[in-house]
Amino acid sequence: MSAAEQASRGSSATTVDPITVMVIGGALNSIAIDMGYRLARMSYSSIIRESEDFGCAICDSEGRQLCEATQSTPLQSGPIAGYLAGIERRFAELGDAWRPGDVVVHNHPYYGSSHQPDVAFCVPVFRDEELIGFSVTTAHHLDLGALTPGSCGIVNATDTFAEGLLLNAVRVEEAGERVESAWRIIADNTRIPRLVLGDMEAQVAAAKLGAARYAELVESFGLDAVRAASEHLMDHSERMLRNQIEKLPDGRYEAEGMIDGFLDHPDPTYRNLKIKVAVTVDGSDLHVDLDGTSPEVDLPINMPFVGTVDVAIYMTLRSLLLDTEHHDAVSTNSGLFRPIAISAPLGCLANPRFPAPTIARFCPGNIVADTLMRAMAQIIPERVAAGVGNLKVVAFSGAEDGAAWVYMDIIEGSYGGRRGKDGLDAVDTLYANTRNNPVEDIESHYPLRVTRYELRDEGAGAGRWRGGLGSIREFEFLADGGFSLEGDGNAIPPPGLFGGGPGRPGEVTMNPGTDAEEALPSKIPYRSVRKGEVLRLLAPCGGGYGDPAERDAAALGRDAADGIAMGSA
Amino acid sequence: MLFVGIDIGGTFTDLALYDSEREELHVHKVRSTPDDPGRALVEGVSELCDRAGVGLGDVDGVLHGTTVATNAVLEHRGAPTGLVTTEGMRDVVHIGRHQRPQPYSVMQDIPWQSQPFVLREHRLGVAERIAPPAGEIVVELDEEAVRAAGRTLRDAGVEAVAVCFLFSYLNPEHEERAAAILAEEMPGAFISTSAGISPQFREFERFTTACMNAFVGPGIGNYLRGLGDALAKRGATSDLLVMRSNGGVASVQEAAQRPVTLMLSGPAAGVLGAQWAGGLLDRRRLISFDMGGTSTDIGLVTESGVHEASSRDTQIAGYPILVPMFDLQTIGAGGGSIARVDEAGAFVVGPRSAGADPGPACYGLGGTEATITDAHLVLGRIDPERFLGGEMRLNVDAAAAAIDALGAKLGMGRRETAEGILTLANASMARTIRSITIERGRDPRDFTLVAFGGAGPLHAADLASLLDVSQVLIPPHPGITSAAGLLTSDLRYDLMRTVFMREGDIDAEAINAQLDELAAELHKRLVRDGADPADIQTERLLECRYMGQGYELRIPVGTEGFAEPQLQRFHAVHEAEYGRAHPDPIEVVNLRVTATGRRPRLTRVKLGSGTLDDATLGEAPTAWRVDGELVELPTRHLLREQLPIDEPVASPAIIFQRDTTIVVPPGWSAVATAGGPLLLSAQPRSDNGGRRVR
Repeated sequence: MSAAEQASRGSSATTVDPITVMVIGGALNSIAIDMGYRLARMSYSSIIRESEDFGCAICDSEGRQLCEATQSTPLQSGPIAGYLAGIERRFAELGDAWRPGDVVVHNHPYYGSSHQPDVAFCVPVFRDEELIGFSVTTAHHLDLGALTPGSCGIVNATDTFAEGLLLNAVRVEEAGERVESAWRIIADNTRIPRLVLGDMEAQVAAAKLGAARYAELVESFGLDAVRAASEHLMDHSERMLRNQIEKLPDGRYEAEGMIDGFLDHPDPTYRNLKIKVAVTVDGSDLHVDLDGTSPEVDLPINMPFVGTVDVAIYMTLRSLLLDTEHHDAVSTNSGLFRPIAISAPLGCLANPRFPAPTIARFCPGNIVADTLMRAMAQIIPERVAAGVGNLKVVAFSGAEDGAAWVYMDIIEGSYGGRRGKDGLDAVDTLYANTRNNPVEDIESHYPLRVTRYELRDEGAGAGRWRGGLGSIREFEFLADGGFSLEGDGNAIPPPGLFGGGPGRPGEVTMNPGTDAEEALPSKIPYRSVRKGEVLRLLAPCGGGYGDPAERDAAALGRDAADGIAMGSA
Repeated sequence: MLFVGIDIGGTFTDLALYDSEREELHVHKVRSTPDDPGRALVEGVSELCDRAGVGLGDVDGVLHGTTVATNAVLEHRGAPTGLVTTEGMRDVVHIGRHQRPQPYSVMQDIPWQSQPFVLREHRLGVAERIAPPAGEIVVELDEEAVRAAGRTLRDAGVEAVAVCFLFSYLNPEHEERAAAILAEEMPGAFISTSAGISPQFREFERFTTACMNAFVGPGIGNYLRGLGDALAKRGATSDLLVMRSNGGVASVQEAAQRPVTLMLSGPAAGVLGAQWAGGLLDRRRLISFDMGGTSTDIGLVTESGVHEASSRDTQIAGYPILVPMFDLQTIGAGGGSIARVDEAGAFVVGPRSAGADPGPACYGLGGTEATITDAHLVLGRIDPERFLGGEMRLNVDAAAAAIDALGAKLGMGRRETAEGILTLANASMARTIRSITIERGRDPRDFTLVAFGGAGPLHAADLASLLDVSQVLIPPHPGITSAAGLLTSDLRYDLMRTVFMREGDIDAEAINAQLDELAAELHKRLVRDGADPADIQTERLLECRYMGQGYELRIPVGTEGFAEPQLQRFHAVHEAEYGRAHPDPIEVVNLRVTATGRRPRLTRVKLGSGTLDDATLGEAPTAWRVDGELVELPTRHLLREQLPIDEPVASPAIIFQRDTTIVVPPGWSAVATAGGPLLLSAQPRSDNGGRRVR
C-alpha cells in the first residue's frame, strides 16, 4: 500500500495529504515541547525543575494521546491518556461532564493515576460548545498529605487513604475562575504549600499554553484536517511497532523476576516476591500476561494496572523494538501501543484491588520492565540488556527556623551488559528517566552535605560485556531531621544473561565505618536522624552479558587501569 | 584601515577584506584543507591581498572564525587529560545528571561515558571542602595530595589537567592553589580551573566544561600560535583575533586559555553578519537564517543585540557547556537533506544528509536519494548551468529520477513531491522560529528575516510567508556573510560569579563590589589585548529567579550600580518570558559582567548595478503554488550584480548570484537597495493560498 493510500484510509471523512499530516504532527510535538519548557522553567521544586519528573501531552476529544514533550520522563507522560479516562469514569459516576473554562486536578491511583504524588492538571479545549481535545500536564509533588513528610518512602501506608490527599476529578477552575476552596484544601494538606502550589501553578500555566496552541492549530488547519491527521499519526505509530512485532517469531516466551519486598517484615509473604511475565507473539500482535505474579499486599508496593503496569510494558517494548539508536523516530501517541495487549489477574501485585496502597509502585514496576526484557531476550538477544539495577528514592525532611523542608533525591540504578557494549553506569532505568539534583543545589538549599558521589567500582556483573556500575551516594545531616526511603534490589542481584554473572545488589547503611553502623533494608519508613549522622546508599550493579572468559583483553586492561572489578560469574 | 575576516567551514574557507577608506569589500572563497585548516587560511589571505592589491603587512587586523575546537570535540581528538577534584567526586563527570540522553533506547551510548574527556584512571580526588553559602573552607586543601596527583598524572603522560572542586564558584582559593602546585609538578601542562572557566553552580556541567577546555586546550593553542607564526612569516604584522561563541573576538592568548569559548565561532560570526546586513537598512529586529548544505542555524537579534542562550540550554556534541553563547537553534535541514518514506510510510525530510559526497542526486556523483537541492532543481528554482557560479553542472535527469522514485512510493506526481519536500523543510524551520519568537513573547511580524548561506535565499520568502513576516533581506554577499560578520566584531569578554542571595537579605554593597571587581578584571584583559581604555563599555547583569525555581532570568544593572529596589524589575521580566509574575521572594543567583572593547568595523560597501535589461537573463517556466494550486508560470531569470538600485523586480523571479540563488515567489517583489542588501517584500495579500504552519 502506498503512503497516499494509507493516508486516505483514516476513519475521518476528510482526507488529508501526507505532507499536511507531517506538518500537523510536527506542530503537535512542538506544542508539547513548549509546554515542557514552560513547566520546567516556572516550577519551584527540584523534583520538577532539576529532575524533570513531569509529563506534558495533547489529547484528542476521545482522550487519546497525540504527542508528548521530549523532556518528559516516560513514567509521567505515558499515563496521561489513563488519567483522562479515569476522570471520564469519575464524571460518569457523578453525572458530570467537561465544560469550557474547566481546569481539573486528578491523582486517584484507581482512576488512572500512576500513583498519588503524580498529579495531573487537565484543561479541556473547546471550539464553541464542542469539545475538541485536552491539554494535560503531570508532575510529581513533594508533599501531599501523607502520614510522614515527603511523597516517597511512605512504605508503612496500609491503604490508599494513608498515602495522602486524593483528588478525584476536582475542578480548580470553573468557567475560567479559580475555585479558591479547592486550592485551599490542597494548601492545607501539604507541609510545604509554597513549593507545592508554585509547582501546581506552573502546571496549570503549561496546560493552558498547550490548550491555546492546540486551539490555534485547529483554527489554522481546520478541525477535520487535524482530526484526520491525528488518525494518520496514530496509525503510523501503530504500523511502526506492528512492523517490528511481525518480524519476531510467533510463540510464548516466559521469564521470572524477584523483588525484595519488605526484607525486615516478620511475615515471609512480604519478602522475595515474584514477578512473572509471559509474552505471546502472534503475527503483529503481542500479548503480555502477568499471571503467576505474587498476590497484592497491604503495603504500598502494589502497581496500578493502568498508569504503572501498562506504562512499564509499553515503554520497555518500544525501547527494545523501536530503539531510537537504530530506528526512525516514532511519535508517542495512543496508536503506538495498539498492537500490545496486557493482562494480569485481579488481586495480584500487578492488578491490585482498591484500596490496596500503591505509592511505592516504581520498585516492582522496574522489575516488571526488567523481567519483560529478559523474556524478550530469547528472541531478540542483540537488543536487550542483562539484569538492570533498581532505583531508590529518599525523602529528606526537617525544620529550619520553624519552617518545614522536604527534599526528594532519586538514586540511580544501572543497566546490564549488552551485546557488543558494557552496561550503562549509574543512570535512571527503564521506564524512569529523571535527572539527579546537583550536589551544589542540594547543599545550597538544605542542611545536608553530600560527602561522596562516585561509581561503585566493585561488583559489576561479570560477562563478555560487563554490567554497568551502580553509584555510591552519601549524605551527612548538618542538622537534626529525618528521612524515609523506598527502593528495591538490596537482596535480589540483577541477573546475568547468556553466561554472564549477576551484579552486586544494593545496600543502605547508616553511619558507615562507625560504631553506630547499621545495615538497613530497601524500604524504610520515616526515621529521625541526628545532626552529624551519615546515610550511605549503594546502587546495584547491572548483570553481565555473555561468558566472562570471552571478555576482550583491551576491555580487561581498561577496567584494570580504571580500578573497576567484576564480580564472580 | 584594512581588515581581513576568515571563516573556515567544512568545505570552503571564506575570506573578506575590507578597505575602510575606500568602502570596498573584496571577497574570496578557497577549498578548506581539513588536514591542516590553517593552510587554506594562509594561502587564501595571500591570494586575497594580491587581488586587492595590498600587502599582508598593510593589514591592520586579521579576524578568524574557526571550527577547529568544535571538530576536536566532535571527533574526540584531544590531549591526554587529567582531573583533580574534591575527594569523593571523581565520577561526577561520568555519572552526569544520571539521565539517559535517549529515553527510549537500550542500546544507546552516553557521550560522557563512552567518550570521556578524562579516563577514570586519570581522575583523582584530593581532600578539601568548601561550603555554601559563603564559600567557607570546612576542609583544608591537602596540598601534598595535589602534589602527588600531579606526579602521578605527569608520569602517566597526561598533558592537560582540569582542577574541579565543589563550590569553587563561591571561593576559588583551593582551585587556584591546586593549579599552582600542579604547574610546579607538571611543567608545560595545560591547566584549567573550573571557576576560571565558568564560576557557576551545577557541578557536572561546570566540571565538564573545564574538562572539555583542558581536553582541547593544547591542540587549539598549537593551532592558533602556528597560525600566527605562519601569517607573520608571510609578512603580517597585525594581531590575529579569534571569534568566540558569544559573538566577540579574543586575542590568541585569551582564546588559547579558554578554547571552550570557541565552539560556536563560525555560526556566531554568521549572526553578526546578519546583524550588519540588517543595520545597512536600519533594521534592528532580525531573524538570522543561515541555511547551508547539511544544517540550518537560526538566531535572533533585537535592539538589545543578539539573543544569548540560557546557560541551562547550551551543549556541544551532547556535552553540556557553561559558557556565554549566542542562542543558535540548529536544525538538520540543508540543501543535502534527504527526503524519504520511512519504514511505516510517512514522508520525512532530513536530518540525514547526502553531504558533499555523494551529495544530492543532481550532483551526478552517485547519489540516488532525493534531496532538498534536487527538489529546487526539479521545480526550476535552481539553474543547472549556474550552480556555484557555473563551476558545477547539475544533472536534472538524475534529480527528476530521484524525485519520481520517491513520488511513486507516495502516490504523488513529480512537482507535488518536490514541492512537498520544500513544504516539510520550511514547516520545520518555521516551528523553530515560532518557538524562539512567539513562545517568548515576541511577534515574528515585527522582524525582518535575514537569509544567507547557500540555500537560505532559496527558502526565505516561503518561510517568511509561513510566519507572516513581510520582509526578507539578503545580505550583499550571502555566501560570505560569516566572514563579513567577523569584520564587524568587537573584543568581548565575559565574567560571572554565583552568589545566591535572597530578597530581604541582599548585600547590595557586596554585589556592587563584586561587579566592580569583575569589570576591573575584564578591563585589564581588554587593555592587554589592545583595546583603547576610553572605548571600553561594560554591561552588568544579575541572573535571578523566584526562590526555589531552577532557571534564571537576567535583569540589567544600570551604570548607577545596584540597589535592592531594582530587583523588582524581575517580576516584569518573568511575566514577559512566561506570561505571569508571582508574589514570591526573588533570589539573585549569578552576577555577570560583559565588557566590550570596540574595534573599527565594516560599515557600508559599494556594489555594482545596472539596468533591469542588463540584469535579465531570460525566462523559463517554473512551478509555483498560487491560491492553493500548483501551477506553472513564466518566471524571469536575473543576475544579482546587474540589478538596478531601487527598481522593484516583479514576481515570480529567480535571481542568480555567484554563491546563492534568490527565489521571489508570486506575491513577493524584490528590490536592490542603495545600502547594499536585496530586499524582498510580501505584497499585502488577501490570501496567497500557501499552507499556513503553526
